[in-house]
Amino acid sequence: MISFIARRFSAMIFVLVSISILVFLIFFATPGVDPAARIAGRNADQQTLMQVRHSFELDKPLPIRYLSMMRHLFVARDLTSYVNRGAKVLPQLSQAIPATFSLVIGAAIIWLLFGLIFGVLAASSKKKWLDPTISFLGIVGVSLPVFWLGEVVNLLTQSKLHGSVFRWVPPLGYVGLSVDPWQWFLHLLLPWMTLAVLYAGIYVRVLRSEILVVMSEDYIKTERAKGASEKRILYKHATRMSLITIVSLFGLDFGALVGGYALLTEVVFGIQGVGKLTFDSLQNFDLPVIMATVMYASFFVVFMNAVVDVLYAVLDPRVRRA
Amino acid sequence: MRRRSIVLNSLIGVAALAASALIGGASSQAASDGGMAPFDPAHAGGTIKLVANAAAGSLDPKINYTGQYWELYQASYDGLLGFRYGDGKASFQVVPDLATALPVMSNGGKTLTFTLRSGIKFSNGQPVTVADVKASFERIFKVSSPTAGSFYNGIVGATACLAKPATCKLDQGVVVDAKTNKIVINLTAPDETIISKLAVPHAVINPASSPAKDAGTTPIPTTGAYMFKSYDPNKSLIMVRNPYFKEWSHDAQPSGYPDQIEYQFGVTPTAQVTAVENNQANWVYDPIPSDRLNEIGTKYATQVHVNPLTAMWYLPMNVNIAPFNNVKARQAVNYAIDRAAMVKIFGGSQLAAPVCSFLPPNFPGHVDYCGYTKGATPDKPAKAWSAPDLELAKKLVKDSGTAGQAVGIVVSDDDVNKQMGVYLQSVLNSIGYKATVKPISGNIQFTYIQNTKNKVQISVTQWYQDYPAASDFLNVLLGCASFTPNSDSSINMAGYCNKSFDAQMSKAMSLGLTDPTAANKLWGQLDQQVMKDAPVAVAFTPKQLDFISSGTKNYHFSLQYKMFVDQLQTK
Repeated sequence: MISFIARRFSAMIFVLVSISILVFLIFFATPGVDPAARIAGRNADQQTLMQVRHSFELDKPLPIRYLSMMRHLFVARDLTSYVNRGAKVLPQLSQAIPATFSLVIGAAIIWLLFGLIFGVLAASSKKKWLDPTISFLGIVGVSLPVFWLGEVVNLLTQSKLHGSVFRWVPPLGYVGLSVDPWQWFLHLLLPWMTLAVLYAGIYVRVLRSEILVVMSEDYIKTERAKGASEKRILYKHATRMSLITIVSLFGLDFGALVGGYALLTEVVFGIQGVGKLTFDSLQNFDLPVIMATVMYASFFVVFMNAVVDVLYAVLDPRVRRA
Repeated sequence: MRRRSIVLNSLIGVAALAASALIGGASSQAASDGGMAPFDPAHAGGTIKLVANAAAGSLDPKINYTGQYWELYQASYDGLLGFRYGDGKASFQVVPDLATALPVMSNGGKTLTFTLRSGIKFSNGQPVTVADVKASFERIFKVSSPTAGSFYNGIVGATACLAKPATCKLDQGVVVDAKTNKIVINLTAPDETIISKLAVPHAVINPASSPAKDAGTTPIPTTGAYMFKSYDPNKSLIMVRNPYFKEWSHDAQPSGYPDQIEYQFGVTPTAQVTAVENNQANWVYDPIPSDRLNEIGTKYATQVHVNPLTAMWYLPMNVNIAPFNNVKARQAVNYAIDRAAMVKIFGGSQLAAPVCSFLPPNFPGHVDYCGYTKGATPDKPAKAWSAPDLELAKKLVKDSGTAGQAVGIVVSDDDVNKQMGVYLQSVLNSIGYKATVKPISGNIQFTYIQNTKNKVQISVTQWYQDYPAASDFLNVLLGCASFTPNSDSSINMAGYCNKSFDAQMSKAMSLGLTDPTAANKLWGQLDQQVMKDAPVAVAFTPKQLDFISSGTKNYHFSLQYKMFVDQLQTK
């Protein structure tokens, strides 16, 4: 078991190193990407250009440059941006993480709540119209692109109806939880709901079909034969069993969102999270920031996968030998 | 100077803006000669909130080379000289700032003598001394300022400093005397634009203790009415009043009105407009998105200010490779482009005006002329551009023998530039070329088109003035010294190097030392002369559209630094 874990985690390190090398090489293979002239400034003198190239180590061979960047990122922890000169990359990332977590956790609570309530309702309701209606609304939720929905929400709450119904809506942006909890809540309320719509739709549909599958299992029939109430069967057995799927689905979605998938919501609502940081750095060709955010996101994904693999191995001995 | 991304694009908003443009500057009060009205304490106080999509990089005034922060530096940093606070042409005037008067010129223009004002303190409480002045000039080289080699290379000792920045000493170039507060700047050769160069932010005075490298996000103490309190490029930039500031020159550094100026970053352009409409912010930095122009032109017309910019959108043509190594091919492009169509793509006649001259309107040396319009020739130019001449263009292409050749048009990948590219493609195809559009990221397009290695034939780009001098356009963009093959920093994108034209530009520059009026007349002639060779095709001159919130008053616009942020009033 220990050797399996060791193997799994060394594979994880290998994947991360490969990703960082790939990002680095792709960046420098892009035509016209040499950052020296952009850092030096418009119409810079050739000597100035050389000084800048030297001070950013851009005159060194690629492997040295790569190692130096990794050293600045992980050992010295003082890697600085190419675009916002002097801005250290790691503090930028560590400041962006709470915003992303706030957004994703709040949205997750909403979509889990809605997903569970309406998923169970759709699967169990005696009323003929309820199930198709909920399923239909679920489909609508899944189909609405988050960037479009976010812009529409902004159009209504910030512009068209801002003078009347939505006077309480604060300007776009993010306020830290420690700065002002009430403003934190107000600023995030609409982004939470916007992000949650898509996932609530998915979870309602997944939970509903899972419950229906479980309801036809043999052990449910046995339970019925023993005279258990329908309520007990639904909640104690069917829903509980179906939650296993939901939990593993949630693990993956949550990991991806924290890793930067909440990007579109962050951009539309002006929340300075990890997704927005990645987006901006890609637009600016800011390699140090791209490198840091990509490493952060891939760490989350790779690490979560490794944890899941180890858990599988705990549950299923066959995996350990694979 | 160059501006960042352009997303402006509209046909709808134009008509509406026509009405609002008329009120530009209407709400402002100015002294009779274009200067600012005296400070009125009744309107002081409050916070001015500015919103932008992104920050503009390092806050170090010796490094930053963006209009976005130069607009803030005028209220915070001071050089020996500065540009005047005033409307219209008054803002192009250089006035003494930390120096008591304009310099006394001697030694044939090679020696400039200043006296430093006494009693001025930095925002950290330290007095401003002549030692700080000398250190500030050395720091230009120590931090490898972008203009170290282009603006300040004429100072005695600069050559050594450029080669070895770390040990830069300007003992001969900037001679100071602590007893008399005298500062003598020695140049290797007279420079007609040195006054302007000493007035821009790269020449401001910082404490001698400032770091010998780019200070990045750490604010450097200021001398002006405001200082920088905090800066996080992903969040905000906050300016507060400098507690040690006392007004010493109303023209160079007047007291400001707001107690605090906050710049918020990471707000999309459309959200910026909404924030100003809702009075959540006072001003929008980024160009207004096309779908919002109509509403701000109608519903919010009184809050819109439109001002001309001394800038141009133009098409450099590589004179060293086919087909544009043939002058007829370059002239053909000049005749063929419909400048009115390009203005329309940019946002309409309220946001830009077609031009053919190299020097933009309102700029020193500018002459109203157009050699490439229907019914005119470079030798017999018309007063202004009226319509393209496709027939003549086709004939020129045929005569040049370049018909049928492939031409790549390199443009930035934002909407406006891509549309320009597609439009140019259709024009080039119609006069006999096989054109393709090559859009690349706006962040690298500007350096990409400069490098001869990339073999760019024609591109679309912009140039915004650094300071008001014809040489900042003609000499910088078309001089032999600005052309460096195989370098990303070769601003003469056309690769145009004409020795006799260079010599005439030198003549105009030295004439500027003694007789600026005659020099500007000569620049105007040189403009027409070089356009006969057509190394570029100038398309139009853009205008600045400022959208401010309803409660914001006292809007003033500087041709040099754009809006005076510190003069805005909320009370």
